[in-house]
Amino acid sequence: MPARLRALFRFQESGLLLVILALGALLTAFAGTVRTPVFERAADGTRARVYTTDAAGERVPLTIEKNKFLNAQNLAQLAKDTSFIAIMAVGMALVIISGGIDLTVGSIYALASVAGALVLRHFGAEGPAASSPILGILLGTGTCLGIAALCGLASGSLIVALRVHPFIITLGGMAIYRGIAFVITEGQSIGSFPAAFREFVRFEVGDGLGVVPLATMLVVLFVGWIFLSRLAAGRRVYAIGGNELAARFSGIRVERVKLGVYVISGLCAGIAALLSIGYYGAATSGDGQGYELNVIAAAVVGGASLNGGRGSALGVVLGALIIQMISSGIVILGINQNYSQIIIGSVVIFAVVLDNLNTWLAKRRLTAAA
Amino acid sequence: MPFLEFRQITKRFPGVLALDGVSLTVERGTCHALIGENGAGKSTLGKILAGVYTADSGQIFIDGRPVAPTTPLAARELGIAMVHQELAFCPNLSVAENLCLGDFPRRRGFIDRSALRARARALLAAVGADIDPDIPIGTLSTGREQLVQIAAAVGTGAQIIVMDEPTSSLSAAETADLFRLVRELKARGLTLIYVSHRLEELFALCDHITVLRDGRHIATEAITSTTPARVVTQMIGRELRAHTPAHLTRELGPVRLSATALTSPGHFTNIPLSVRAGEIVGLAGIVGAGRSEVVQALFGLDPAATGEVRINDRPLALGSVEQALAAGLGLVPEDRKRQGLVLGLNCRENTALAALPLLTRFGFVRRAAEATLTARYATRLRVKTPSMETITAGLSGGNQQKIALAKWLARDCDVLLIDEPTRGVDVGAKAEIYQLLDELACEGKALLVVSSELPELIGLCRRILVMRQGALAGELPHAAFSEAALMQLMAGFPAAA
Repeated sequence: MPARLRALFRFQESGLLLVILALGALLTAFAGTVRTPVFERAADGTRARVYTTDAAGERVPLTIEKNKFLNAQNLAQLAKDTSFIAIMAVGMALVIISGGIDLTVGSIYALASVAGALVLRHFGAEGPAASSPILGILLGTGTCLGIAALCGLASGSLIVALRVHPFIITLGGMAIYRGIAFVITEGQSIGSFPAAFREFVRFEVGDGLGVVPLATMLVVLFVGWIFLSRLAAGRRVYAIGGNELAARFSGIRVERVKLGVYVISGLCAGIAALLSIGYYGAATSGDGQGYELNVIAAAVVGGASLNGGRGSALGVVLGALIIQMISSGIVILGINQNYSQIIIGSVVIFAVVLDNLNTWLAKRRLTAAA
Repeated sequence: MPFLEFRQITKRFPGVLALDGVSLTVERGTCHALIGENGAGKSTLGKILAGVYTADSGQIFIDGRPVAPTTPLAARELGIAMVHQELAFCPNLSVAENLCLGDFPRRRGFIDRSALRARARALLAAVGADIDPDIPIGTLSTGREQLVQIAAAVGTGAQIIVMDEPTSSLSAAETADLFRLVRELKARGLTLIYVSHRLEELFALCDHITVLRDGRHIATEAITSTTPARVVTQMIGRELRAHTPAHLTRELGPVRLSATALTSPGHFTNIPLSVRAGEIVGLAGIVGAGRSEVVQALFGLDPAATGEVRINDRPLALGSVEQALAAGLGLVPEDRKRQGLVLGLNCRENTALAALPLLTRFGFVRRAAEATLTARYATRLRVKTPSMETITAGLSGGNQQKIALAKWLARDCDVLLIDEPTRGVDVGAKAEIYQLLDELACEGKALLVVSSELPELIGLCRRILVMRQGALAGELPHAAFSEAALMQLMAGFPAAA
C-alpha cells in the first residue's frame, strides 16, 4: 500500500467513515421500500404531482417505488438534520479538546433563536417595520449571532475568572440562558418573519435538498478544520487540553484561549439557531431542549476526548452524522420511537469503549516498539 | 530457602525498559535496600511486589511458593504492604476512617464510631504513633501520614513492607523516629524492602543492599561487606568523569540576568543573583529550600514575587510569563511530564510550542519553517525518535528531556533557567545533555541550573549558589567546589570531620 494511503487509513476519521458506510448499507438493506408520489417542477418553479390514468381510466397520482432510506428526499432530510447538530458539534469540539465541556449550547440555541426572532418579527409582514426587510434580516442575524457569542463570552469569563469547573458554570448557564428566553417571550412562539429570510434559508435544489444549512455546515467544518490544524490558536487549544500546566510554562495565555473556545462554541450554537428560525419560521423558548447532550454525544462519538487534547472537526461532524443516521434509522426501520434514546445512549458508550481500546492498543504498540 | 525471591522480573513502560530480568533474594526479618539512580528501576520493582504494577514476565516466590500480587489488594492478602511517597489515603477522611477503610466496624448496618476509634487507636499504638484518630488525614505532615500508612500495614498483618523513598520529605526528627520504628518492626520479624537513593541512611539501617542500574540487577551484598564508595561505583557504572567543560576557559560576557532582593512570601526572601553571558551558575539546596520557586518566579509564574530583575540590563516586571519570554528568558521545568511537555502532542508540536509566535504569520503556523526549525534542534540534541510526528509520550525519559530542552533552543532565549536538567534520564543521554549545556555556554548563553545532584553541579558550573530555607546560604567559586562544602552550606551546619 502506498504510504500516503496507509497514512489515510491511520486517521481516526477513516474508521468513522467505515461506520457510516456500514450503517448506510444496513439501513438500505433493511429499510424496505415505500411508494411515493412523483413530483415535477413546473416552469414557474412550483412543484406539482404528476398524474396518470390507471387501467380503469381513473386519474391517479403517479407513484414510484423507492428504498425507504436510500432516496433523495430522505438523504436531503438527513443532511439538514445533521447540519444543525454538526455546526454546534464543531464548536463543542474546540471546547472538549481544550479540556472543558459546554452544556449551554441547547439553551444558547433557544435564547439566540427567540432574540433573533423578535427582531425579525419587528421587520416581518405583520410587524411595524415591514417596509425594510433587508435591514431586518441583517439586524436579526446580528442579534442572533451576537447574543449567542455574548452568552459564550459570559460562560467563558466565569470559568476563567472563578476557576470553577466548566461543568458547573455551564450547568448554571444552561438554566439561566433558557430562563432568559422564557422571560423575554413569556412562553409564546414568535413567528412572522420577512418572507425573503425564510425563502433564502429554505432554498432547495433537486428533490428537496436544502442547500443553505448544508453549505453552512460545510463552511463551519472547513473553518473549524483550518483553525484546529493550521492556526497557532488551534495548536494552543490542543496544548491546553493535553497539559494545561505545560502550556502555561510555554508562555501560552491559557485564560485567553479558554475564553475564546467558549465564545466560538456559543457562536456555533447561534449559527444553528439562525438556520433553524429561518427553516421553521418560528422560535420558542423551548427550542433545542436536550441538544447539548446530542452535540456532546456527536463530539464524543466523533473521537473528541473528554480528557482533552484530542479530537478533530471532521471527526465530530461525522459523529453528528452517525448519531443522526441512527435516530432516523430507528424511524425508517419502524422501531418503537421509545427505544431511540436507549439505542443512542448505548452507541455513545460503545464508541467511548472502542476509543479507549484503540488508545490502549496504541500504547501497547509503543511499549513493544521500545 | 530464601523468604522472598524475585526471578527474572521484566517490566516495560512506553519508551523504556524499566526492569530487565532482575533476580534477587531477600532474607526474612531483614531490611533490604534497593538503591540506584533515578530511573534505575528500584521503585518499579517495589511497586511490582506491592501489586501497583504487574511484571511483564518473571516470577515472585514467598517461602518457595510462587505468588502473583496483581493488585494492591492481592498483595495485601499475601502479607505485602507498601508505604507510598505520595498521599495514599483519602485526605478528606479522618485518620480512623482511613485506617478502617476496607472494613468498617458496623453495628446493625451503621458504622460503629466508638469501635472505629478504638481500633484506630490500637493500630496507631502498635507502631508507637501518637496521632489523634479523629483529625482529617490531609492535615497531617508527610512524616506522620507515613506512620499511619505503616500502622495500616502492620494492622493488616503485613509480613513484608515496601517503603518507597520514605525519608524524601521528612524532617531530621521525623527521620530519626522512622528509623527507630523500622528497627523495631525488624525485631518483630517483619521484612522491609527499603527503596532509596540516600546512601548514608541505607548504611545506618539496612542489612543487605541491592544495586540496580538502568533496569538491571548489578549486585546484592551484605551491608557489612561493602562500602559507600563501592556502591556509588556500582550505581553509576563508571568512574566519575574528570573532563572539564570547555566554557570554563572562555571569557565571560556582559551580565544577562541580575536580580536583587528577590522575594516571594512563604517561599524565599531577599535572593540576589546574577548570571553573565557564557556562564553556567548552579543553584543548590535540599528539597524545599526554594530553588525551583526562585526560577519559576524569575519566569513570571509566581504572582506574589517581588524584587528587581534585569535582563540584558532592561528591567523585567515579575508575574508575567509573556514578558519573561519577550525579555529572552526560557525555563526548562523540573517535572517534564507535568510542566515541560504536552505528552499527547508529537515531537514537532512540543518542540515548536514555545516558539509558536515566531512561527506564525496571520495566525497560521508556517509549516515548512516549523518543520525545519524543530528538525534542526532535534538533530542537534540527537533526539532518538522514529520521526518528529511521533507522540512524545512514546519516547524514553532522556529523549523527552531533550525535547523539553529543544523547545527552548527553538525559541532562542538569551537566558535559560534549567531545573533538574537530567532527572530520570539515562546515563548516555545525561552526558549528551551536559555536552549541550557546555556548548550553549560557549555560544554566549547565560544558564542558571538547579540540581539536586551535586556531582552534576560540580561538573558543570562556574559558580554555585546555595539556598537554605528560602534564603541564600552562600556562594562557592569553582576553586572551592566539593560535595562536602556544598552539603555544609545546604544543611547549615559544619561538616562532620
